[in-house]
Amino acid sequence: MDVPHENTPRPGAEEVLRGPGAEEVLRGPGAGGAMGGLSAKEALRATGVTIREAGSGDAVAGVMPRWVALPESTEEVAALMRVSAGHDLAVVPVGGGTRLHWGNPPERCDLLVDTCCLNEILEHASGDLVVRVQAGVTTESLAETLAARGQELALDVPLGGATVGGVLATAVAGPRRLRYGTARDLLIGVTVVLADGTVARSGGKVVKNVAGYDLGKLFTGSYGTLGIITEAVFRLHPIAPARRWITAELPAPRTAATGSEGSGSPMGPGTVEGSGFPVSPGAVGVALAASQAEPSAVELDWLAPSGVLTVSALVEGAATEGRAAAVRDLLGGMTGRPGTTGESGEWPVGSYGVAEGDKAPDWWGVLPGEEVLLELRVPPSGVDGALRAVARRGLPARVRGSLASAVLRIALPPETGGAELAGFVSAVREESGPLGGRLTVLAAPHEPAPQVDRWGPVGTLPLMRRVKERFDPDRRMSPGRLAGGI
Amino acid sequence: MTLDELVRRVAGVLPPGAVITDPVRLRTYECDGLTHHRVVPGAVVLPESAEQIAAVVRLCNEYGVPFVARGAGTGLSGGALPRTDGVLIVTSKMRRILQVDLENRRAVVEPGVTNLAITEAVREHGYYYAPDPSSQQVCTIGGNVAENSGGAHCLKYGFTVNHVLALEIVTPDGDVVTLDADDPGYDLLGAFVGSEGTLGITTKVTVRLSRAPQAVTTLLAAFENIEQGGQAVSAIIGGGIVPAAIEMMDALAIAAAEAAVACGYPAGAGAVLIVELDGPEAEVRRQFAEVERVCRDSGAFELRTAAEPEERAAIWRGRKSAFAAVGRISPAYIVQDGVVPRTALPQVLASIDRLSAEHGIRVANVFHAGDGNLHPLVLFDDAEPGAGERAELVSGRILDLCIEHGGSITGEHGVGVDKSRYMPKMFTDDDLDTMQLVRCAFDPRGLSNPGKVFPTPRLCGEVPGVRKGVHPLVESGRAEQF
Amino acid sequence: MDPELINDCVHCGFCLPTCPTYVLWGEEMDSPRGRIHLMKQHVEGTPLTDEMAGHFDACLGCMACVTACPSGVRYDRLIEQTRAEVEREHVREPDDRALRELVFQLFPYPRRLRAMRLPLRLSAGLRRRIAPRLERINPSLAAMADLAPETAGRPRLPRRVRAVGRRRAVVGMLTGCVQGEFFPRVNAATARVLAMEGCEVVIPPSQGCCGALSLHSGRPEQAARFARRTVAAFERAGVDTVVVNAAGCGSTMKEYAEILDGEWAERARAIRTVDLAEYLVELGPVARRHPLPLTVAYHDACHLAHAQGVRSQPRALLTAIPGLELREIAESAICCGSAGTYNLFQPEAARELGERKAERVLATGADLLVSANPGCTMQITSAIRRSGTAPIPVAHTAQVLDASLRGTERIA
Repeated sequence: MDVPHENTPRPGAEEVLRGPGAEEVLRGPGAGGAMGGLSAKEALRATGVTIREAGSGDAVAGVMPRWVALPESTEEVAALMRVSAGHDLAVVPVGGGTRLHWGNPPERCDLLVDTCCLNEILEHASGDLVVRVQAGVTTESLAETLAARGQELALDVPLGGATVGGVLATAVAGPRRLRYGTARDLLIGVTVVLADGTVARSGGKVVKNVAGYDLGKLFTGSYGTLGIITEAVFRLHPIAPARRWITAELPAPRTAATGSEGSGSPMGPGTVEGSGFPVSPGAVGVALAASQAEPSAVELDWLAPSGVLTVSALVEGAATEGRAAAVRDLLGGMTGRPGTTGESGEWPVGSYGVAEGDKAPDWWGVLPGEEVLLELRVPPSGVDGALRAVARRGLPARVRGSLASAVLRIALPPETGGAELAGFVSAVREESGPLGGRLTVLAAPHEPAPQVDRWGPVGTLPLMRRVKERFDPDRRMSPGRLAGGI
Repeated sequence: MTLDELVRRVAGVLPPGAVITDPVRLRTYECDGLTHHRVVPGAVVLPESAEQIAAVVRLCNEYGVPFVARGAGTGLSGGALPRTDGVLIVTSKMRRILQVDLENRRAVVEPGVTNLAITEAVREHGYYYAPDPSSQQVCTIGGNVAENSGGAHCLKYGFTVNHVLALEIVTPDGDVVTLDADDPGYDLLGAFVGSEGTLGITTKVTVRLSRAPQAVTTLLAAFENIEQGGQAVSAIIGGGIVPAAIEMMDALAIAAAEAAVACGYPAGAGAVLIVELDGPEAEVRRQFAEVERVCRDSGAFELRTAAEPEERAAIWRGRKSAFAAVGRISPAYIVQDGVVPRTALPQVLASIDRLSAEHGIRVANVFHAGDGNLHPLVLFDDAEPGAGERAELVSGRILDLCIEHGGSITGEHGVGVDKSRYMPKMFTDDDLDTMQLVRCAFDPRGLSNPGKVFPTPRLCGEVPGVRKGVHPLVESGRAEQF
Repeated sequence: MDPELINDCVHCGFCLPTCPTYVLWGEEMDSPRGRIHLMKQHVEGTPLTDEMAGHFDACLGCMACVTACPSGVRYDRLIEQTRAEVEREHVREPDDRALRELVFQLFPYPRRLRAMRLPLRLSAGLRRRIAPRLERINPSLAAMADLAPETAGRPRLPRRVRAVGRRRAVVGMLTGCVQGEFFPRVNAATARVLAMEGCEVVIPPSQGCCGALSLHSGRPEQAARFARRTVAAFERAGVDTVVVNAAGCGSTMKEYAEILDGEWAERARAIRTVDLAEYLVELGPVARRHPLPLTVAYHDACHLAHAQGVRSQPRALLTAIPGLELREIAESAICCGSAGTYNLFQPEAARELGERKAERVLATGADLLVSANPGCTMQITSAIRRSGTAPIPVAHTAQVLDASLRGTERIA
């Protein structure tokens, strides 16, 4: 079903809803029971929730909403949703707003539900290693509260200011996904408000629980298209007494022209010397992941296709020295350089040494870029091939991400043109596809975006559509934000 | 009859002998591991491929006949209970390990492969499949996916859902679809795992293989009473240690295990605690010292440690035999499965004690103490009039206790038919209606394992929630309802 | 079929993966749990149908399920009772009946068996001619022909073998039917090993079949008759311990007190039956072990491992031999398909299981296969022969020990 909508309602337009037709319908009898007769804005105000006019900073992937609501409880969100149902308002939830530019622009957006005031940590049951929070709590404030009792949510969210709800809706995770999994693995309970205002809960406050469907999983990665997450319960982990990072540099790839290390242009299509990498980053990742020293994360940083690659592994626990040494030896052995212990926080420059310290490299867990950002997932055995595919395009791509889990983020310069980006995406997809790779465009400027297939082929699209149709039959929840216009 | 005609056509798409209709044979499929629910299936089919399952499911759709999937039939909630008017699709012939890919730490297997067979296939290379339900040598991976099975070691390593990377499923309308953890959008893979066969049938599973830990050490601590044991558990977790497993047994459970397998646990123990630590050797050594200290401080009067596989097996033997062992001290029993927050364990155990005294029904407690997963064994004599009813009552009251303390009515056995009536106690109508939306998205005709999980499922045509009547846009002709 | 025993089954399914027919076919009715369910149906009034009888007949009686069962269900007793019931109530097809009659009139009688062995040892040409027919009746009959020793007749065993050195014990020894007729050297080796370990070995010549084949095929009366005769023979020999080297015989003799009633049960109880390996480990070694530089794959005979729980002892004896390397066979708990008379009555399933086992035996790459049961030996050897692979030499634990104790490189 495709309801004709204007994509971008005029900012600040008040009582005029969407043309005279809609106005009539919404004022007609049965259009929301008790709210009949009120305009949408009046009805929203009548909920008692703070409502403000949308401003220029409120755009969702370039689409401007009309109003912004600031609810403080699940019930208030439900009231807003009931009004929105009665007045056919399209709703987009927003948390910290750090990833509003990710995903497709919504087809329409009347109301932005800002969860910033849903910011209470409701219950930290430290004895049970469980925390229950409202969705608008930022990961930083949560971390602070948990750290006071020696615990943490083992999810390294790559952006500052992100909220719990936003992290779940976009399913982002950081380096330690290797050891602890991602948001879906740590989420044990969730409260959501559906498009019609229904409040639903699944899971609970205990980690071990198989009663009923896990709605939390369904909503993870949903980009606000199924409903609004208002509360979440997570399992926690004790903060490790010690952390050590072991970092090594791998030589730059050989180029077609010279066959030498680290010089000149990135690998051309003619490069046929082994993997093209003097030391295979894929093999390093596989070896570290299989190490009984059990690193919690193994990250890669590659600033330019012609440059050196940096690999860093994190070991955390109570007895990290020996384990760090094992990782160091492994890295040293693979890179052909003996392990050297660097002073804490000092990273040797200009040599392919192995360094160790108790501070993370400054790039650790940071996205390689913001405006044009892609995510490449591939089975670990396909990492070299995928990196080669990126390098061959001749664009100044920056690659950073989880080497052992083989989830890599690729940043391209903000000025990358639409055609250029589309070409990059389709070529990398074509080359990494046979390796089991999957490339998703997380963020791209709205201008070139229409030329780019952000999601690539998604086999589950028909099933996702059916879920969407059941949860949001009127397509009012972040319509069009996901693959296939969901 | 519809079913007869369906069976004839099903036989046409399956290998010879893969359809069972003989009544005597059919009856052997009347129940799974939970024997007090019995239904003789209308027909049993034993397909050998995803295509054959899809063909059967499509025929079931054509005739509007319900179908139920079954693996090894070891479930403890009646999740694979057949339908007289339906077809039981048994995956026990689909048990090939299709691929072992150590470099990518994964294996691809058919649904009828047993949980343990995966570990056995990779053990020599230093890998294993982490979830370890206690029936792991029998239960199939397809069943594990349906139930989101855990095991003693899920405290540290998580459940099936954390170890499945991709699934090939046959949807309730007969399409073969792959759900992959790397798919963008809704985590359908995560939603499917644990859906107890109501969202479709698993035909291929890609599991994550875990590297065997460098060291494993098991400790057996004997306490005078269960409170001391509980205190030790809290102190271990509170001390920032996440053991691979923490299991506890009370005096009655110890007595049963002793009678069955002569496990030789310390005499006079009111409770024993089994703590297993694994990981890098240095880490395990350090944590172990801490666990030992905590146990002593909590009043343990005897500690035994084991690092070699045989010694560890000796410690585990009593625990692993506990369920079947209570048969030696009681003619009949009910195995309950409920969860409470770990910190509520002492209170809940005290309440169970009171319940037990009040109703004159003995309860043996065996539990995964680390995650608050109780397995009270409610003992009774089925020859004694009224005892069965009293046991049922006590068993049900224990679930109420779990709900009251913010826990769950099932930690690993699933809801199945057995506990669907407790679902409304744990969830509101809105919660259940919302879950039903997922069901309707996958299975609008309600043919896939109907009657399980949800008490009285609505038809998918009924729209739950507050939105009643026709939407204004539809009424005005500006939009169409699906 | 005892309803009490049936009700002990809690339907947990732990027996499924250990059951050879479930391993082959993956069907509930051909698993121990399913068969117990069928027994229950019958006890509750369902008539014994052809289908039902077929599933009972398909059971190998390997008892792997008894080992696996956490609830202690006596499946061994149940299937024996069921087989007797099938024999009483079920009318078999004429062909099936005739074959069964032949087997039960032949196998339990050493002299008849010996008579049959001769034609099996006819010239190679003649053997080739009869081979197809033997194969059709039963592959292991053909295997017997191949296995029957070509040279040196049956070594005569004396009535009494004196202990070497200080006498530590006096024991009786069962010679068995198939073991005695087809593998006489195993008996000779057993007697020698016992003697070298300080045992005086008494071998009553009047002993016959122990009754195992009959018991496992639903002929309890015939079994009881054989049991009484065996008890009497060893009573006359004046021993209170009988050492048995054939797994199937040992497990049956250990059950005598349950098979027999009243006075005979008491008399049976007075005689202790032990497996050779079990006994030797219990006794402890005195004789010197000479090195045998061999890799050995040890096969668990069902009636030793499952029925008698003897698993570690043969392995301990073998690994105690200097230079000998023991290799485990994958799926060691699954039956090879021999199972007494099973390969006679269920040739196809037996063949499939034999092939499965042969594959895993060969995968060990061992020089020698060691097994404590003549049926297994014949079954696995014939499967290897059918696979076209170079045959692997086979020996009984006793023969390997004998070679080591005597310091001969050759296994007799």
